Amino acid sequence: MLPRLTVRWLIFLLIASVPVAFIVAPIGSFLLISFFRADKHEIIRELTLFNYVNFFGNWTYSGTYLGTILLCLEVVAVSVLVGYPIAWFIWQQNGSRRYLMLLLAVVPLFMSYIVKLYTLRSMFGLNGLVNQLLLSLGILEKPSQLFLFNQRAVLVTMVVIYLPFVILPIFLALERIPRSLLHASIDLGAGAWDTFRRIVLPLSFPGTVAGALFVFVLALGDFITPQMVGGTTGFTIGRVIFSQFGLAFDWPFGAAMAAILFLTALAGILMAGFAMSRQKV
Amino acid sequence: MRSNGEKFAKIVTGTITAIVFAVLYAPLFISVLFSLVEIRRGKILWETFSFGPYFTLWSNPSVLSALSNTAVVALTAVAVASVLAVVLALYTEWEGAIGRRALELVIYLPFLLPPIVTGLALLVTSAELGINRGITTIIVGHTVFVLAVSYRLVLTRLQSLPRSLIEASFDLGASRLQTLRYVLLPHLASAVVTGAVLALALSFDETLISTFVAGDQMTLPLRLWAMMRVGFTPEINALVTLVLLVTIILALVTAWRLKPGGELGEE
Repeated sequence: MLPRLTVRWLIFLLIASVPVAFIVAPIGSFLLISFFRADKHEIIRELTLFNYVNFFGNWTYSGTYLGTILLCLEVVAVSVLVGYPIAWFIWQQNGSRRYLMLLLAVVPLFMSYIVKLYTLRSMFGLNGLVNQLLLSLGILEKPSQLFLFNQRAVLVTMVVIYLPFVILPIFLALERIPRSLLHASIDLGAGAWDTFRRIVLPLSFPGTVAGALFVFVLALGDFITPQMVGGTTGFTIGRVIFSQFGLAFDWPFGAAMAAILFLTALAGILMAGFAMSRQKV
Repeated sequence: MRSNGEKFAKIVTGTITAIVFAVLYAPLFISVLFSLVEIRRGKILWETFSFGPYFTLWSNPSVLSALSNTAVVALTAVAVASVLAVVLALYTEWEGAIGRRALELVIYLPFLLPPIVTGLALLVTSAELGINRGITTIIVGHTVFVLAVSYRLVLTRLQSLPRSLIEASFDLGASRLQTLRYVLLPHLASAVVTGAVLALALSFDETLISTFVAGDQMTLPLRLWAMMRVGFTPEINALVTLVLLVTIILALVTAWRLKPGGELGEE
């Protein structure tokens, strides 16, 4: 009979082997090749910091990265500003109406990403719905190209795509607030606004932060949205990384940029986990 | 008594909600409309109304092969992920588990990380190992992506089971294996099914990871993307409508199973 501890470790190795082989090893392998170097489509297998020096020393890349982070922060800010009122409104509904509206807010998550992109693109285009609407309202005299192929279009599209990801956690945080707290606040003479500011807002804050970080991480790596609605000005780090695995064919450099993206995302995920654990009610 | 301020807040937030919902559902309405009628120069030609595109779709070999790829990938990935999820959840809930938190982080990573990271990690690994990209690599990508969802649902269910249930089983003389077979698994079954439906919806739609690992194979979203680059036809809109309907139905089934007070209760 084997000692208990040995059995425990054997079972652990057996169980952990699958996630390690299919999740940890792939992440490890791209981290590893980020320390190699590409020379004329040939990967030179010597450890070097070449790609990282290249990234931080070249403003084209590090600037794009900072620009992407700023863009994602804008996406997060707009998503929370729009998503919070929606979550609050849904929370205010009663019974099955509340559940139905929550469902309506979440179902778009499952609607094809590519389809959403194309629909939004056609809506913002020269003959699109937005232009038609502004023309018929007399706000525009002729169709404008301002709505497509720029950073703003990327921002708006990402907000539309990722909005349900903030509505859900904010709603779940609101729903966990005990009704008794709200009644107590009203009974003690606080107005609706004071109750919201002093009770609802602070108690829903961790959920909001978690939702915001989730959107940040998703937007950070998106490479199809900027390509589809951003045109030539919508360059984000995800697009640059993707091009290293396509036309540019510099895998180690692409892997190095992805490694930096990975660390940023991991920091966001861990912070989201921390925010969730701080949820007081 | 409701204050005027609260009424005003409800009107404002209600308006925002209505506008946003209209935008969120625009893709659905636009695809349904344009699959049935043709549009020229911004004008809807009602006389072209027909269900034709829904039938011609089935004679398009590239659509059919993408559809069968998607079905094979989704069903395999979900089946494998469901089994893994049960095994992993049973393990992390077992008192002898080692490195439970680290293991959970690893399980959640592919779902939480930007898909570009998961996608290129698998791309690099398959290239390093000399594995040709294709259906198998897509299946691996989708399995690790949906595993987090199945795992979370199974784990929540497992944690909600009263310990007395298992103790009773042991007291009545059941072995570990018998307890697993006759007590735990039947209780986990419905959570596994819910996780599987949700996972199917996710796999059906997955685009970003697939882009990296698909090689020359096409899944339905990739085929759609390729078709849309060329231009829109009623046929594409018909396909889009069908795709949206399938995912929405899967989402609704999940929601119905997770409904508060429903079968799965407070999950």
